[in-house]
Amino acid sequence: MSERDQVALRPEQATIPPGHSWNRVPVISAVCALLGALACAMLGASNPKQFFFSWLVSFLFFLSLSLGALFFVLIQYASQGGWGIVLRRIGETTFAMVPVMAALFLPLLLGLHDLYSWTVPGAAERDALLRWKSPYLNVPFFLIRAAVYFVIWSFIALLYYRGSRGQDVSGDARVSARLRRIAGPSIIVLALTQTFASVDWIMSLTPHWYSTMFGVYFFAGSFVGFIALLSVVAVAMRSAGLLDTVITPEHLHDVGKFLFAFTAFWAYIAFSQFFLMWYANLPEETIFFKARIEGSWKAVSLILMAGHFGAPFLYLMGRAVKRRGSTLALGGAWLLAMHYVDLYWQVMPTLHPEGVRPSALDVAAFVAVGGCFVAAASWLMRRQALVPLRDPRLAESLAFENM
Amino acid sequence: MAQTEAELLDNPVAGHPTLILRSPDFHAITEVVAGPVEGPTPIGWWLLFLPSLALLGLLGVAVSWLFWEGIGVWGLNVPVGWAWDITNFVFWVGIGHAGTLISAILFLFRQTWRTSINRAAEAMTIFAVMCALTFPGIHVGRVWVAYWMFPLPNQMSMWPNFRSPLLWDVFAVSVYGTVSALFWYVGLIPDLAMMRDRAKTRTRRLVYGIFALGWRGSVRQWHHYESAYLVLAALATPLVLSVHSVVSMDFATSVLPGWHATIFPPYFVAGAIFSGFAMVLTLMVICRVAFHLEHIITLRHFDYMAKIMLVTGTMVGFAYATEFFTAWYSGNPYEIFTFLNRAGGPYAWAYWTMISCNVISPQIFWFKKARTSIPILFLMSIVINIGMWFERFVIIVTSLHRDFLPSAWGYFTPTIWDVSCLLGSFGLFFTMFCLFVRFLPMVATAEVKTVLPQADPHWQPGPERAIRDRGATPPSRGTHTPAPEGAA
Amino acid sequence: MPLDSLRSLVAGPLLLNQLPKGPHYGILAEFATPADLYHACQRVRDAGFTRWDAHTPFPVHGLEGAMGLRRSPLPWIVLVMGLTGAALGFLLQWWVHVKAYPLVISGKPFNSWPAFIPITFEVGVLFAALGAVLGMLGLNRLPMHHHPLFRSRVFERVTDDAFFISIESWDPRFDSSATRKLLESLGARSVELLES
Repeated sequence: MSERDQVALRPEQATIPPGHSWNRVPVISAVCALLGALACAMLGASNPKQFFFSWLVSFLFFLSLSLGALFFVLIQYASQGGWGIVLRRIGETTFAMVPVMAALFLPLLLGLHDLYSWTVPGAAERDALLRWKSPYLNVPFFLIRAAVYFVIWSFIALLYYRGSRGQDVSGDARVSARLRRIAGPSIIVLALTQTFASVDWIMSLTPHWYSTMFGVYFFAGSFVGFIALLSVVAVAMRSAGLLDTVITPEHLHDVGKFLFAFTAFWAYIAFSQFFLMWYANLPEETIFFKARIEGSWKAVSLILMAGHFGAPFLYLMGRAVKRRGSTLALGGAWLLAMHYVDLYWQVMPTLHPEGVRPSALDVAAFVAVGGCFVAAASWLMRRQALVPLRDPRLAESLAFENM
Repeated sequence: MAQTEAELLDNPVAGHPTLILRSPDFHAITEVVAGPVEGPTPIGWWLLFLPSLALLGLLGVAVSWLFWEGIGVWGLNVPVGWAWDITNFVFWVGIGHAGTLISAILFLFRQTWRTSINRAAEAMTIFAVMCALTFPGIHVGRVWVAYWMFPLPNQMSMWPNFRSPLLWDVFAVSVYGTVSALFWYVGLIPDLAMMRDRAKTRTRRLVYGIFALGWRGSVRQWHHYESAYLVLAALATPLVLSVHSVVSMDFATSVLPGWHATIFPPYFVAGAIFSGFAMVLTLMVICRVAFHLEHIITLRHFDYMAKIMLVTGTMVGFAYATEFFTAWYSGNPYEIFTFLNRAGGPYAWAYWTMISCNVISPQIFWFKKARTSIPILFLMSIVINIGMWFERFVIIVTSLHRDFLPSAWGYFTPTIWDVSCLLGSFGLFFTMFCLFVRFLPMVATAEVKTVLPQADPHWQPGPERAIRDRGATPPSRGTHTPAPEGAA
Repeated sequence: MPLDSLRSLVAGPLLLNQLPKGPHYGILAEFATPADLYHACQRVRDAGFTRWDAHTPFPVHGLEGAMGLRRSPLPWIVLVMGLTGAALGFLLQWWVHVKAYPLVISGKPFNSWPAFIPITFEVGVLFAALGAVLGMLGLNRLPMHHHPLFRSRVFERVTDDAFFISIESWDPRFDSSATRKLLESLGARSVELLES
């Protein structure tokens, strides 16, 4: 079966042809990244605090897409799901960006004192709670942990990326079996490291605050973000004439179902976290939400409720919407924007508790970080097959029919 | 037999494992499922039914005495106002969730292996919810005014407190019971029609016929039926999540350390699925052995169930770790004390039982040999259920018995009536399950038929007939012919 | 498209009263396999019959397409019922806690809408599920314990392992001998003329 059906997809059908417009994307994005970086440098010189916060939000946005991609692909391997194999390379390319994100993390190290109040020398002496937390919340351990996260994530990401790319050439079925076997433990390690990373990088912005749900909340947002990205990229590929016979409305339908389901899941997690803290009304917990329901931050909270849940939920309910590229991609793009708003809402009130203060640096940082991300990802795409050509179950994915 | 079956287990690369062994045709499926219902009662059934009936009687006695004398017959005291009653409630609701997961969520994920076990699992859900609802019902004290929990207009202008999680529970669990019963019944209609058409006696034909509603297998009817089934599955999924989240909110909305944690909703849901699958496993092992359903409830099914238990058990372990870390991180002395007290205080024996049963022992399921060994599966299913009962006990009692003020600290010891109510609830559960197995088809026959290869109108039988039991025969939709052979 | 099905839902009971004047209900043909049935259905659909049906022990994949059936309107019924239920659930709580007997409980405002969400959701799901079940029974015109098809002895196997096509005699293209020949030519295992 494998031999016969692998011939059904020739390598030329699954790569970006020479002269295709997408070949120019790496250069264009790299130029944008450079311009963004320049703007950051110029604007950030006079307002470094704003720069670091803007950079943090954009960094978290693109990192969460990579981590969401890693979860998605690991779960596909672990559950032996066959439908998504044609889409797996998109996920693999996304999580292959983790080393790039490691490099993009470095600028934040220059601004630790601006970002995290507990890093300021003498903070622990003045504050009993910070003193208690100092075995965990201290700069050396913070840096070691960050290094550990990136090493582990890069290790898993490259293991799976190289394994899958290698299989394109060798066609060795045992690669799939090996990757499947280690998927389970990899998911556990990823879940733990991602939880602690979210505690370190987002939760400690408000060092007195804590929530057991926070790791799950970050995961939910990142997963929605990746599925949204997947829908946009898959549809864009089809419109650009790449893989338009390979990715079918059946696959788009499933991506749409995932998007629908995880939008609801995100809302469930976000609401649970808010609701339990609202209900118990303990001051040590409500500080987080109090800052986000006062002044103009209230408007952002309402936008998240209606825009990250209400509207997409109703929009993605219909079958036809999920099966058509244009409508699905619109939903995906909207949710990507909402994911950014979610991260902005989590991070920015620390800098601007008085209200929303949009800044040119938000845009500049996004262009700089995003430009690097897109440049690296699209450069990778040019050099690889767009689907795992010799995955033993590719044929099953190609022939996939939805309910 | 076991050796051959083990050889058939999934080639990790092939996509379409054989789900039903021995290549039966449709009629063979009908015969093997209807057999236990139509034939004489096996002695084994009486061996399970009579003790269950006795325990049910015990429940009746215990509850009557409870109503007569009051809640004081239990070991409840101040500060421990909730103990076995609510532990049992959460335990039973949790068990029910696996049934819905198998029916609804696995359906949405197109996991066709669910068809061998979903009917029994759905029945289990309904009986578990029945057991669950008895506990909040009997623990209120003045049962004769329990109707005050419902929004019924009355002369006192009195209304229930909709802001209370206890009332959300009433609504959530009742809706869950209702929807589960509806889902179960809708699934039963074609099989009831099957029993009707096979009925040898007038009474059977009449009773099955009434409840089969005149189903005649019309494709126009299947059309709407399948739409309803999909909708019910899509509704039951968020229902499962919401019901156990609401149950967790009984605790999480409080300010008690160890109870008030934002992760409770998904943590409880994962735990519910974990313990529920363990109970399904217990029941399926019994059914497979007692009714010779080895080719329908296969080792592959157990393999998948064990994997799901491994996943959900790991999620529960993750939640334990997160809670523990966050308790330290919070710097809140009451939180920190609660967790130290759990591990080292008077209830440490319960805590370590919980950890060894829920976190340590399920790790055995990383090994395929364990996932496909019936004795290990049966033993583990019981161990996990014990562990999950203890988890609820630990959460409830350790947070109550030592909270903020040391002068209010206490200790809870169960009385004979606490134990009787728990054992009696098992009696109710197994009595209902025995009756179900005796009078209704315990496998969703129509659904199992759809996963046979010959159910696909585009399927072509090939020379592989002799070796069809081995390897990758695609039973599902597709236009390609079956593989010559898969890896053995 | 869902409106057509809704129209037939309303028209159905009326049509059922227009039973044929003749002695026959229609013709019942038995087929051996789902594949045989599938191809036969395509041919019957293409031959222009409208008052006909296929019967199977389990839902056969793709048969709705082979019969030319439209999508079920059930999801719309469910959506409406669900939204109605949710609205009623919220309204009940709001009325009780804001209008009927307002009480300050744990310092929350009277219209404590986050606390109303769990029950709103549950009641919405309840109504939606009831809509699904009652809607399905209504669209299927169940319960219908008596039907001419039950008179056929062969038909008893419809819930076991046999597959059937039935063409009703008041279909405009029905003709007892020509229709019978057509079904036999499609590979039917047995063909039977049923009385009404």
